[in-house]
Amino acid sequence: MNTTRFSIRYLLLIAAVLMLSLSSYAAEQKESVATIKMTQAAKQASKSTADHTKFTELQKDFESGPEVTAACLECHTEAAKQVHSTKHWTWEFLNPATKQRLGKRNVINNFCTSVKSNQAFCSACHVGYGWKDDTFDFAKEENVDCLVCHDTTGKYKKIPGLSGHPNYKPMEWPPKSGKIREPVDLKKVAQNVGKTSRDSCGSCHFYGGGGNAVKHGDLDSSLKQPLRYLDVHMEAKGLNFSCGKCHLSDSHEVTGSRYAPTAADDKGALLRGKEDGRNPTTCVACHGNEPHKEYAKLNDHIDKVACQTCHIPEFARGNIPTKMTWDWSTAGRLDENGKRLKIRNSGGMVAYDSKKGDFTYESSVIPEYVWFNGNVRYTLFGDKVDGSEIVKINQFMGGPDDPNSRIWPVKVFRGKQPWDVGNQTLAVFHTAGEDDNAYWKKYDWEKAMKVGMAAAGMEYSGKMDFVETEMSWPITHMVAPKADALSCAQCHNENGRLRNVQGIYLPGANNTPVMDKIGLGIALLALLGVLAHGGIRILTSRKGAK
Amino acid sequence: MARIYIFKRFERFWHWSQAALIVFMLLTGFEVHGSYRIFGFENAVTYHTFAAWMIIALWVFAVFWHFTTGEWKQYIPTMEKVDAMVKYYITGIFTNAPHPFKQTRLSKHNPLQRLAYLFVLVVINPVIWFSGWAYLFYNDLAVVGLGWLSLDWIAFFHVVGAFMMLIFFIAHVYLATAGHTPTAHIKAMITGWEESEE
Amino acid sequence: MIKIFSGFFAGIVLVIVIAFKFAGGFMFSEYASPFGVEETAARVQANIQALEKRGWKLSALRNPARAAQVSGINVLPVLLVEACSTDYSAPLLKEMETRILSILMPCTISVYKKDDGKTYIGTMNSGLMGKLFGSKVASIMTEVAKDQQQFIVMDPSKPAPPLIRKRPGGGSGGAGTPESGC
Repeated sequence: MNTTRFSIRYLLLIAAVLMLSLSSYAAEQKESVATIKMTQAAKQASKSTADHTKFTELQKDFESGPEVTAACLECHTEAAKQVHSTKHWTWEFLNPATKQRLGKRNVINNFCTSVKSNQAFCSACHVGYGWKDDTFDFAKEENVDCLVCHDTTGKYKKIPGLSGHPNYKPMEWPPKSGKIREPVDLKKVAQNVGKTSRDSCGSCHFYGGGGNAVKHGDLDSSLKQPLRYLDVHMEAKGLNFSCGKCHLSDSHEVTGSRYAPTAADDKGALLRGKEDGRNPTTCVACHGNEPHKEYAKLNDHIDKVACQTCHIPEFARGNIPTKMTWDWSTAGRLDENGKRLKIRNSGGMVAYDSKKGDFTYESSVIPEYVWFNGNVRYTLFGDKVDGSEIVKINQFMGGPDDPNSRIWPVKVFRGKQPWDVGNQTLAVFHTAGEDDNAYWKKYDWEKAMKVGMAAAGMEYSGKMDFVETEMSWPITHMVAPKADALSCAQCHNENGRLRNVQGIYLPGANNTPVMDKIGLGIALLALLGVLAHGGIRILTSRKGAK
Repeated sequence: MARIYIFKRFERFWHWSQAALIVFMLLTGFEVHGSYRIFGFENAVTYHTFAAWMIIALWVFAVFWHFTTGEWKQYIPTMEKVDAMVKYYITGIFTNAPHPFKQTRLSKHNPLQRLAYLFVLVVINPVIWFSGWAYLFYNDLAVVGLGWLSLDWIAFFHVVGAFMMLIFFIAHVYLATAGHTPTAHIKAMITGWEESEE
Repeated sequence: MIKIFSGFFAGIVLVIVIAFKFAGGFMFSEYASPFGVEETAARVQANIQALEKRGWKLSALRNPARAAQVSGINVLPVLLVEACSTDYSAPLLKEMETRILSILMPCTISVYKKDDGKTYIGTMNSGLMGKLFGSKVASIMTEVAKDQQQFIVMDPSKPAPPLIRKRPGGGSGGAGTPESGC
């Protein structure tokens, strides 16, 4: 009896001990597998030789962006000076060919039109902190915003109206949405800095013009994780290029400029390491001048046609419609209660906004095609406008007889915007702000014009009107897989894609109508002649037989 | 009825394969030009280019043959009896008048034929050939110092040549029926043997 | 004699070729729309909903372009508006001889963009299709064709309606849910 009891107890005990040890072993196993996986993931995420989470300079609770920058500069002593010389900082570009002073700071576009008098709002996309008016110190190193480009967490967001700062206190955003945006964890963002990415570049460049896909047409948030059809280079599961793969950067200077683009590159593939000052952000810089191996005839096109023309069959293909027109002249219409109106179109996009006027959108847009040699001429503030014709905000120069010109796909953005009739210039007007002069506050053009024109250095004449404008955007992103390039007949056709391009002979487009008529006429006469001759022969031979 | 062996085997092969290629190239060529749609632009270009290389190969053989056999002399022009030929086609042919030209092995083409074929050889063909080569190697023209040639002019001459060839083709096919019987010339081109009236 | 026969046969071949080439044109019709793809589809949807008294209900909105994109292929936008009316489908589904015409259900209106940048509406030529299947089917399909003509009326004086992307009856296949018409 005793022995049996004892043995059962003993057995139970052994079993319990065994089970416990087994389960703890299993748990241990799981944990170690998880740790291995995590370290692997971390290794994949960053190949950097520096782990910023270990830096003592970054072990503090930062109060503001400039504080973070100060910490960055302790090691990266030259970084801010480098940034200071870039367009991303100065928002200014002197076109060496035309001597026009361009850059966001100077140009007027036909979207939100002008930065002047609206800096606090626009500078949400400036790589700096504190640009709210002309008093901004462009020489101060701590004013540089490192995080907006180097954040890898996706949590760092600058908010329009805060002069380039993120919010440091909880605030409602978007206004009147009832949503509270918590302040950004600057310590976490600072400890997780890294290379730029589609996400970080895209945080501004995808949203240009006031919203996703609005401005460029070939840049929008669908490029964050694109499928193969959308962009063969950036395909998330494929080549997965970051922006910097093509926009090779050195000393914070990013190559590839829309103000002075390389429209024709006949220099062949760029040898790695070779520095000859040429733009590395062209198709040719990687693919060379004879990229078509299977069908060499295609290489014969490169003296007239930009790669983009065939290989980007449409833009805004990411199912996010891009804005195509903007009519400011209808702005200011309010509902019966005097409240701001927002009317949506069939696709759910805002088609009318009291603040901004009427919009139209389109996705998978067939580009317009123009000759382009890389020279862009702008209509700047003060350039003469008389309202009698459509104002070309920018004009792509070039033509069929210019060896540096190629046929390019462009997005032409059409609008109607204010101009100062007395001063005969496109207007700068004050849109955003908390003051009563801001158009978006009181819908009063006169006040907005007065303040805006003054900020641009001109006294408002007292008479304004709206003028039709056009602005062209070169299309160069969203490169489709090669099977989706335009087929021959899409251009080589009477009603083909290039039907409006002048000065080029396009086989198959039936472009020698006079010669065709003469040739065909003579051939028909010959045919009639032989038929008549033959007919007479038949008749006379029958007679002869009789 | 006399029978003479006029067209040798290679000559007949050359004639018919060239005829097929020319018809095919007219068909594809005018599609590339944009006159109609049959094969689709891309296919038309591919076929046209392929046929061009075929006809080039054929011509290499034909030129060699003409010079080794002395047959090139058949294209030396003569004005003798040209007026008689013209008169025959205008009136004689309708009244069963005798053909003013007698074929022999040394002189198988009548004087009008000689002139017409010579015109093909020295005008139509060179126009088509040179413009065609320029078309084909358009982007490499600068290498041989022809960079100033623009595609619209190259295409213009090529199409002019094509129209001339089309017109020649129409006249040629018809005149092939103008032997002493409507099929006599055609038979000769197939078998090599021409029957003459006497 | 040979000439007559060969001429006769050549004639037959010619007729067949012509019929073959233009049959597609008879079976389907294409109309240009003054609006974009989404707005055109939305207006077609609104027109269909306005004919509820004749039994018409939306059954689905399909986007075959999206499917191509997932496969890595670019195609220009195309939306398929599907609708069905039990007023017309039920009689056809009752008769054993005409049940096979369920292949034509639901009625599909296609809205797509072409290379000229314009939007087009494609419809099946239901009237002609019906005539191929006897008088009863013909009379039903003639009615369908009449309604179909109203689906594609683009009235610019009306504001743009929102595109209905969700299946009215919920569910995933568009089948089985009674709210979706068929």
